[in-house]
Order: sequence, then structure tokens, then C-alpha cells
Amino acid sequence: MSNSKAMKAMGVSRRDFMRASSAIGAAFGLGSTGVTQFVSKAEAKETAAGGLPVLWLQAQSCTGCSVSLLNSIYYATIADLAVNTLDINYHPNLSAAAGHLAVSQVEKTYRQGGYALIVEGAIPTGANGDYCTLWPGLTALKGVTRYAERASVIIAAGTCASYGGLSAAKPNLTGAAGLSTVLGSRYTVVNIPGCPMHPDWLVGTVAYVLANGKLPALDAQGRPTAFYGKTVHEQCPHLAEYTTKYGRQSHAKGQSCLDCHSRTDSEVPQPRALGVKGCLFALGCSGNVTHSDCSARKWNSGAAGTPGVNWCVEAGAPCNGCTEPTFPDGMSPFYSLNGPGVDD
Amino acid sequence: MATTLTISPMTRVEGHLDVEVTVDTIGGTQQVTDALCAGAMFRGFERILTGRDPRDAVQLTQRICGVCPISHGMASSLALEQAFVLTPAENGRIVRNLVLGANYIQSHILHFYHLAAPDYINTDGILDMSPWRPHLASPDMITGSTAVALVGNYVKALEMRRKAHQMGAIFAGRMPGTASFVPGGATKPVTAADVTAFRTLLTELRSFISNVMLADGEALLSVFANYSNIGRGCGNLLAYGVFDLNSAGTDKLLARGRYTNGTLNTVDTTQIREYVSHSWYTANSGDRAPANGITEPAADKAGAYSWIKAPRYAGAVHEVGPLARMWVNGDYRYGISAMDRIVARALETEKVANAMDGWLTQLVPGASTYTYKATPVTGTGIGLTEAPRGALGHWAQIGSSKLTQYQVVTPTGWNASPMDDSGQHGAMEQALIGTPVKDVKNPIELLRVVHSFDPCLACSVHLIRPGKKAKICSVDVSAGI
Repeated sequence: MSNSKAMKAMGVSRRDFMRASSAIGAAFGLGSTGVTQFVSKAEAKETAAGGLPVLWLQAQSCTGCSVSLLNSIYYATIADLAVNTLDINYHPNLSAAAGHLAVSQVEKTYRQGGYALIVEGAIPTGANGDYCTLWPGLTALKGVTRYAERASVIIAAGTCASYGGLSAAKPNLTGAAGLSTVLGSRYTVVNIPGCPMHPDWLVGTVAYVLANGKLPALDAQGRPTAFYGKTVHEQCPHLAEYTTKYGRQSHAKGQSCLDCHSRTDSEVPQPRALGVKGCLFALGCSGNVTHSDCSARKWNSGAAGTPGVNWCVEAGAPCNGCTEPTFPDGMSPFYSLNGPGVDD
Repeated sequence: MATTLTISPMTRVEGHLDVEVTVDTIGGTQQVTDALCAGAMFRGFERILTGRDPRDAVQLTQRICGVCPISHGMASSLALEQAFVLTPAENGRIVRNLVLGANYIQSHILHFYHLAAPDYINTDGILDMSPWRPHLASPDMITGSTAVALVGNYVKALEMRRKAHQMGAIFAGRMPGTASFVPGGATKPVTAADVTAFRTLLTELRSFISNVMLADGEALLSVFANYSNIGRGCGNLLAYGVFDLNSAGTDKLLARGRYTNGTLNTVDTTQIREYVSHSWYTANSGDRAPANGITEPAADKAGAYSWIKAPRYAGAVHEVGPLARMWVNGDYRYGISAMDRIVARALETEKVANAMDGWLTQLVPGASTYTYKATPVTGTGIGLTEAPRGALGHWAQIGSSKLTQYQVVTPTGWNASPMDDSGQHGAMEQALIGTPVKDVKNPIELLRVVHSFDPCLACSVHLIRPGKKAKICSVDVSAGI
């Protein structure tokens, strides 16, 4: 069946998809050429064999990143991606097949090669990998090693797959590690951390790869700089409140952040307890050391090309640093409710 | 002759579930005569929590499961509030209910359309592409214009569950998983604009649930009426209750209670014990109340086949989930079966969504959502709530202002548990036993029964046996079976 028939059955509009393509181009500064390439790749799927094959494996995961992916709409919806852009040959939560029928689909994709391998969850390396099996006879450890061999792009979805994350938290009984650690330097892994990851970070990256036939620019932690190039703090609306009032001079004087953020005579909102709007640094916010565009992009957008409805700090919660390699141990405790400047 | 089937990976569930069943012909009907269920992944969550700042538990335990993180956040908040001797701010209680309700709607829509429905619809000629093909096929599957309409609603449901998360994020900060829940309430201040934005999305969702989802549930029921007699299981139902309607938690939208041996009764948490005779843990880890739980692996233990413990109430097997909640609360008492679980889940979605509209009205914009109290040096607390897929309990102990013990008993622990010390099969195992299997190469009936429980494995597993592969409930449909 042609994709256009499926698009009709699923109510996916071609116009929506074209608009999403333009938004992806804008995010990466692709210009019109990149967007055209992306669209023609998508059109190739409509008329020919298919789109980019995807094998999505879950190791020590909680499925939160997959659930987050289902919330995608800024660049493209999941239905749009499945019908127009990707061949999702295996996804543990979406595949209609189960058991051997599902495994045969994975193996067929592997034999053909040239697919995107997307891994969710950390890889347990202890006990020869037996803390997590994908299916009988195949540990996650062996599985990611095997399916990396013929992948054209390898993506770690979420902080666990990127760096170990929650699964590798102390005491890390299972020897959990991120995908790049397990695969070694032979492979380049694109890390899309976040606990959970933002769907736009993954969808935008996949779109870039489709349009350009190469990986986007990555930072030292393997993250696309388009999404992780700045800190939460640098784009935080509460920083703007300070710079408007005080300028940025205090940062240059070697003072501790708390020298200012614990002041009781602050002329910008500085909550003394949770549940009040304003800069949450004194309450434990890790936005100053956390790289992501949460504060600008926000979460749970309701329409293509539209920022999300909220994010942690806007909900009065300190950033817990979930996109960083040190999450969660290096960010814990998440709250500082008894420190200087905080009412007890 | 008896045939052994293994289904692994069991797709369209959360996490790593393996199912192994024995199929034989009894009284002229080919059916499941024995069933074993096991999970296939371990992270050691309870150990990760020990020694941490108690407040971090609300954030960390949400990472147990990305499908029901809000329920873990709720259970953890309730457990810590009991340990802190702290009453949440009234606005905070309501905000938490609204976020939890948003995730109930999201999870129930996801389960009905995206996890369960593919077992009942033949999508050939409609969706001839991955991830919808290949698929298990069965002559009784819905085809034709009804199938086309259901596929259309499958896609509409993707949009609806996304909007449920968008709605929840108004108070949660983001979904899945909220940064806003804390002991003492929620961090998100409430504005009138929030209430309006939330209600706009809720109204759209309520319309979809009442007009589309319930109608599709009825359509499924009418075609698959025979599944009202399949997958009954143990027949005992347990609900901790959920959605506190007052700060003391004494009044709930869905009540606490149980239905044991055909009689409704109250719940006494001291009657809950976990057994390990068929789990890979030392004997010392078994026959314990969760508050005193111990999790010591025993790698070569004879007779063990799962790393899920076997929770029991007064020694009896109980099923948990939407059917248990709706039954205990008196909203649904037609029967206990695979189809009753699906129908009760759809009806519960409507009940919760309708109640949420009233809770929105009770919010007071500008009033505090949060009450602070310092972390106590010592304390103990139990947080009982309900995840979309059933009863969830957190047991916390604090010493020297740190967590000294944290135990979690999950809904899939109840439903997918292995045999206990008395040799009683777990609820899902019992539901599988007796299920007719027409074609052992295409055992769609087993997927339907398993999916009716909406299992969530990441939640359930305490420890996997190192170096050993679990005997599992897995369906291997390869040729030669």
C-alpha cells in the first residue's frame, strides 16, 4: 500500500508534515536546501521503498523516553514520523508483533543494514549482562553490540542510555553504563540525554541526519549543540529579571552565587520557600550547570512549531540537572531548603 | 500432547516480560494448563534510595516507571508526609490529583488503543507498514470498515493522550514525570489562567472518552463477548483507593477495599506479606511485611523461576487494577475476565475525567499549594495509592534525616507474581491457565489475556538472578512448535 493511503487512513495531513519539515530546518539553521533534502527524503518514502529503518531497543529503561517521544508535535507527530519518515521496524511498545515474529523483524533489518539504532535505558555490564535480556539468549549487552555493527546512525535516547543515569546511581549493583561506554571508541553515539528526554531533541536530530546524511555538531558529552549548547541558566527567564535590574557585573567578581542569591534585599523575586515564583537557585536549582534548552523550548507543546506549556522551574521546581552525565548522584540532594537565604 | 510456548519479547507492555505456558487438550479444548510469568530486568531501585535525602525519593521513584511516574510520585509524597507528620496544602492536594488524573487518562487511552487494541484488529490493507506489520493474525479479528474506523481512532487517540500530558504539564511542569510533587503539596502556584487552560483540554478529552473511547469499548465487547468468559483468574480483587478528597485521605474518589472469596471487606495493611519460595531470594527475604522487606538474591535457589516477589493479602492471591477499583467502589460488578478489565478501564477513564472538572472548581488561584516542614530525624510512613494499572504502595523509613529503608510493592508485583509458599499461582498465571489456544503457532489469546492486565514490568522487578535466564511467559511463534 502506498503511504498516501496510509496517511489518509491515519488522518495525517501532508501539509502538516511540510510545515514540520521547515521547523526542523530552522532549528538547525539548515536553510532551504536542507529542508528540501529532508522533504525529498520523506517523499522518497511515499513513492518508493520506505524511510529510514529504525530499531528501538530498551535495556534498563523505564519507558519514560518512549512515552515522551509519543508527545512529539513541534517538528512532527509520532503518526507523521511512522507513516512519512521512518520505518519503525521494532519498538517494544509499538510493534504489533511479539515473540519470534518481532525478533525476526529485528534480524531482517539487521541483515539489510543502514538503519538507525536507538537505545533507551542503560546497559548492565555486570554478571555478563544477565541483569537485562532483550529476548531469550540475548542480553542487552550482546544485543547493542550486535545491532551497532550495521547501523548507519546510533542514538542513545535519554540519560540512562547516554551516561547510565538513574540505573547507574549508587551503589550501581548491575554495573550499568551508557551506550557509548559499552560500544567504545569504534562508534560515534549521539547522546540525547534528559530524564526523560524531550521529544524534540530526538526528532530534530533524526530529521537533521535524514536531511544532511551526517551527524549534527556534538558537544564534548556527545550531545547535539543545537539543543544542549547553552545552560538552562543562560536562557532562564529569571536570569533576565536579574540582568535587567543589576546587570551581569556580580558574576565577574569571584563571588559565590549564594552571595547574591541569599540576599534578603533582592529587588527581583527570590523565593524563600518552594511554591513561589522566581529564581530557585538558593533552593537547589542546578540550572547553572545543566545544558539544555528547556527554559526556551519548554515542554508538552500543543502545536507544531509552538513552545511547550511549561517546564520544571516555571512550575516552581528546582532544575535537577537531568541532562548531565552526573545525574542523579552529582545533582543530589535536589533541594536545598535549609541553606542560607531560605526560611526554615 | 502438551506443547510449551514461550513469548519473549512480550511487546506492547512496559518493560521486559516473559511468559511460558504449557498447552494441552482437555475435554476436547486445546487450552493453557500451566503458566509461568517473569520479568527480565533489574536495576536495584530500593538499594539506590537508601542513604539519600528523603525528599529526593519523590523524584527518584518516578524513574521506576515512565508510564506511571506520577503514581510513584504520589505514593512517595504520601509516605513522606506520614513520616514527616505533615498535612499537604489543600491546593496542593487538588493539584496532585489533577496531575495524577491527567496521567490516568493518558495511560488508559494508551493502553486501550495502542497496547491492547492491536490484538483485536486486523490492520491488513490499512496499515501495511512497520510497526503495525508483521502482526499476529487471527480469523476472529475485526476487519473492514470497523477496522478502518478503529485505526482512525487509534491515531486520534495518539493526539488525545498527548493532550492529556499537555494538560497535566500545566501543573506538573512537564510530563511524563513531574518535578512539582513534594512532601507538603506541589510547587506549582495556581493561577486562574492555569485553570482555564486545563479545563479547555479536559473538556476536549471528556468528549473523546465519552463519545469515542466508550463506543469503541462497546464495539470490542460486542465482537469479543467470548472474552467475558476468558482470563478470569483468582477472582479476588484488591484496591488501596486513590484520589484523596480530603487532606486526611479518609474520603476517596475510588475507595479502599477488597473482594475476597466473593465478599467485600476492608483492607488492613498488616495483612500484606511478600513470599519468595519461587523467587530468587533467600528464605530470609520471604514471608515479610513490606516495611521490613529484605531483598537478598539467591542465585541457585531450587524451585525459583522469577525475580518478582509474591505479595499476598492474608495469604490469598489478589488481582489489582481498574476492574478491582471499580468493583470495590461499586461502579462495575458485571464480571471478572479479560474483557471486563478492558471495559472497566474505559469506564473508569470517564469517571476520573468527570471528577477532575469538579476538582478544578475547588482550586483557589493564588492560595498556597505547599506547606513546608523540616525533615525529621526519624520517621516511618506508608504511601498507598493506585497506579493506572493497580494498587501501589511505598514504605519509607527515615533515620538521621536520611532514608534507611525504602520498599515498593507495585501493581504488576501483585498481578504478575510467581507462585507463593503455598504453591498458589499469581493472578496473571491463573488467568492464563484455562485460556483456550486455537493455534499454538499463533497464540493471540495469550496476548489478549496478558494485555488485559496492562502489565508494567520495570516497576515489579526487585532483582534478577545473575547468570541465569528466567523461565518465562514468552510466546515463541517460530515454525516447528
